[in-house]
Amino acid sequence: MSSLLPWKGWVVFAALAALPLTPWMTKYHMLLAFDALLFGAVAMSLDLLMGYAGLVSFGHAAFFGLGAYSTAVLLERGILSLWLCLGLAVVIVGAYAFVVGYFATARRGIYFALLTLIFAEVVYTVFRYTQAFGGSDGIQGLPSPVILPGVALDTPIRIYYAVVLYLLLAYLACRVLVRSHFGQVLVAIRENEDRARFLGYDVQRYKMGVCLISAVLTGLAGALYAGRAAYATPDLMHWSISGEFIIMVMIGGLGTLVGPIIGGAFFILLQEKVSSYVQWYSIVIGVVLVLIVLFAPHGLLGFRRGLRARPRREAAG
Amino acid sequence: MGKRLTYLVFLSCALMMLPVAPASAQKVVKIGDLGSKVGVFEGYGKYQTMAIQMAVEELNAKGGVLGHKIEIISEDDETKPAPAVRKAEKLILQDDVKLLIGAVSSGATLAVMDVTKKHKVIHWNSVSCAEFMRTTKFHKYYFSNQPDSRMQATGLAKYMVEKMGKRVYIFYTDYAMGQSDGRQFKTALEKHGGEVVGVAGAPLDTKDFSPWFGAINQSNPDVLFVAFAGTDSLRLMTQLHSFGMTKKYKLAGIDCFLLQQDLPAIAEPMEGFVQLAHYSAYNPDKNMQAFNAKFKKKFGVDGNIMAGAYDAVLFWAAAVEKVKSFDADKVAEAQEGMCIDNTHIGRQCIRKEDHQVIMDMHLYQVKGGKNIPIAALAGKDTIGEAMVGKDPIEGFTWEIKKK
Amino acid sequence: MAAVLLPQLLHGVVFGAGLGLLALGLTVIFGLLGVMNFAHGELFMFGAYAGIAVISVTHSFWVALIAAPLIVAAIGAVTEMATLRPLYRREPLYGLIMTFGLALAFREGARQLFGGDMRRILPPIEGSIPLLGMTYPKYRLFLLAISSLLLLAIWLFFTRTRAGIVVRAAVQDAEMLDGLGVNVPRVFTLTFAGSAALAAVAGLLLAPVFTVYPTMGVEVILLAFIVVILGGMGSLGGSVVAAFVIGITQSLLTLWMNPQRVAIAIFGIMIVVLIVRPRGFFGREGVLE
Repeated sequence: MSSLLPWKGWVVFAALAALPLTPWMTKYHMLLAFDALLFGAVAMSLDLLMGYAGLVSFGHAAFFGLGAYSTAVLLERGILSLWLCLGLAVVIVGAYAFVVGYFATARRGIYFALLTLIFAEVVYTVFRYTQAFGGSDGIQGLPSPVILPGVALDTPIRIYYAVVLYLLLAYLACRVLVRSHFGQVLVAIRENEDRARFLGYDVQRYKMGVCLISAVLTGLAGALYAGRAAYATPDLMHWSISGEFIIMVMIGGLGTLVGPIIGGAFFILLQEKVSSYVQWYSIVIGVVLVLIVLFAPHGLLGFRRGLRARPRREAAG
Repeated sequence: MGKRLTYLVFLSCALMMLPVAPASAQKVVKIGDLGSKVGVFEGYGKYQTMAIQMAVEELNAKGGVLGHKIEIISEDDETKPAPAVRKAEKLILQDDVKLLIGAVSSGATLAVMDVTKKHKVIHWNSVSCAEFMRTTKFHKYYFSNQPDSRMQATGLAKYMVEKMGKRVYIFYTDYAMGQSDGRQFKTALEKHGGEVVGVAGAPLDTKDFSPWFGAINQSNPDVLFVAFAGTDSLRLMTQLHSFGMTKKYKLAGIDCFLLQQDLPAIAEPMEGFVQLAHYSAYNPDKNMQAFNAKFKKKFGVDGNIMAGAYDAVLFWAAAVEKVKSFDADKVAEAQEGMCIDNTHIGRQCIRKEDHQVIMDMHLYQVKGGKNIPIAALAGKDTIGEAMVGKDPIEGFTWEIKKK
Repeated sequence: MAAVLLPQLLHGVVFGAGLGLLALGLTVIFGLLGVMNFAHGELFMFGAYAGIAVISVTHSFWVALIAAPLIVAAIGAVTEMATLRPLYRREPLYGLIMTFGLALAFREGARQLFGGDMRRILPPIEGSIPLLGMTYPKYRLFLLAISSLLLLAIWLFFTRTRAGIVVRAAVQDAEMLDGLGVNVPRVFTLTFAGSAALAAVAGLLLAPVFTVYPTMGVEVILLAFIVVILGGMGSLGGSVVAAFVIGITQSLLTLWMNPQRVAIAIFGIMIVVLIVRPRGFFGREGVLE
């Protein structure tokens, strides 16, 4: 059993931690880096579901948005502790994910995608049209959350370190999960669900479990996002955002954990930089996605694996 | 293949983060133009940019401001608060703008106010009309030359009740701007003895308004008051017309309901529509005509209420010249109470208490696809009292009082 | 009470008819090709824009009504051959993901070509008539009539013509068809083109009411998905019935709830159906189970 994190991983995180010290990391770039790493982490948690368990969620934005609103609701009432915000996000997103997961994992394939899509649309509609949550404008002007008494997340550099820490912890968690027995069963379910069932595994429970973990990780990311952005809006939960998460995973590579992080970061950076100059970058993204599905369905970085394996294949891992 | 690609991706990320090549040696000051460049309010955003461009060109021709050439950075906020905040952050943190004009949608403007407050940047609003901006959300760097919903209600309600009809149905777009207009007009109409027989809100971007028409017809109003903007307005009027309701009821609405250039396409449905505004290409006022002439010469089209953005740049530039500095605190102080003579309607002054420009306006009626003035209103009569920090909707209720 | 109820019912039926045309195309594609076409809304949108283009040249809505669906059908055929055909052997989820990418590209492409602001198509039939206590636009009645005619024509096509029966057979069992010597890839392409044409017709017919803008497909696709699932994925009759049900339900509910809550109610119904009877009204067993 290899170590918690290979030395390459530590080097990368050290580099990330040292990034603010370089001269071209302006405040603006640090916030940009936050977004890139945060959404990279979201893509990674989606990869748990898509790449390892073979379940495509078209409703992941709902987890993200619920996490954001949990934070927003507390912050706007003056409850500034970041920990409480994260805790509430875990509870709310967990509860929602439990319900969705229970029904969505009951049947196969495309059904999971459709059900997650519709559930997410319900959440979006509820938040968009409920005045208590700010309606279509959402909740704005939130104060910065507080980590310790006197230490608030109000400067770009602190916000940046928060996400680096989160990414590290989330990555470690995913890595441990994927290499554990649980992770291997997931892969077995993905490869051949019936066989896994015949071997005696409670397939639905495993699916629900990974759905829950993936959702909560995404929800925590959403909670952090509201702390940085000082707002939570229903647009965060729209199905087009769920689609963007999927694109991030596909760019990065299914089933690699690291690939989606890069895919997510790349997507965010591209969006931010290119959209100021060129309005038609959506065409590029769309075409790229089509090409990836056609020619590199395992993603640009992934191993030779798809959403389902071919009948004759190499051993997993 | 995987490894190489990884390095490639990392490299491109790093490349993208590098700053763009530095600007030329000449001193430059940047100002931000934030608004809806696509979507429902695209027209307003475009005209805002045009108005700002005209002001900047005039100033640059005279040497710029404080010896600096003015450069405009335009960003699209997608008519939503979240992108508006991100773009505002970019304009302020990366582009270092000394003036931010925007946004178009009230929701976006309110959100951006948090950003301009936090980072201390002069913020001018020339089109959003929610009532919170000069009351509860007010901050010292915020200035406005848009008649907000309270001003519009103060100016228009009396005319509506006295000249158009006592029974009014209020139909608004269900987000910050529309809700604000609905509230203010209901309050003002009732104060002047009118009867609000019904209120309803439709979500932004509603495709089909016919589900609401039954209720409107049932309540049998004299006047239909509509608080919508942009493409929603176009759609609404088309549908109202096809159901015969534009002929059945008198029509009134807010100043940004439709821009002049959209009127000819729906001249017939809009016939008789009354609104309060500070600009019309058909107003014989000589200052307005002069402005319209030069706008038309430059862009080939008539101006509209977005001319306020032109004034905003001029106010800011005048203040900067006065205190010889771009520092936000100094400029803000200089702008309080300041008057300039070269706005689109001549001389205008900024009120000190709530940073609102005192605007002489007119009531307009649409005749043959044109906004024709029918009454004049002095600025001091419509501006209302300064309510900085006070809740402008205290005691308000949406309830319909049955008579 | 009837004075209020009946007009709402009429709204619902009119909308349901248009929705039916849209959903029909979607369900045929799913039944036949196993692909849930996320880009269907964009084909709907293309129909409206193609209509604008044709009208600007010919000044005739009627010509556009014939020409626009043909144009979009061609786009559909090309798309199918280029991008979807390779996916048939694969997991249906790929179709969902890829058509999502197509939708993105199409949407932005339309915006670049036609500009982002709203365009109007004037209704070919103007004026209104007094009906059920209110003044009802003639165009909406025309919409209802022509949609119903089209649906009837399609039903006849599927039940009375050889081509239609071939398509229905292919929906049931494509491999069998191959065994019988039918050129299956050609059937697939033509069916996809036909479905695109249907979406385009719906888009053009509804355009004078809803106006035309690049994101008009986004708003309608989810509703179309719901109709297809409710009716039974792959069931033609089911999707038409479901379209009317949804259209009428939506319209009637606005009488008692405010329109925002109506959307939530519709989704709620959808979830219940998906959980309790995933095959919908008339769907085949095993499609989703």
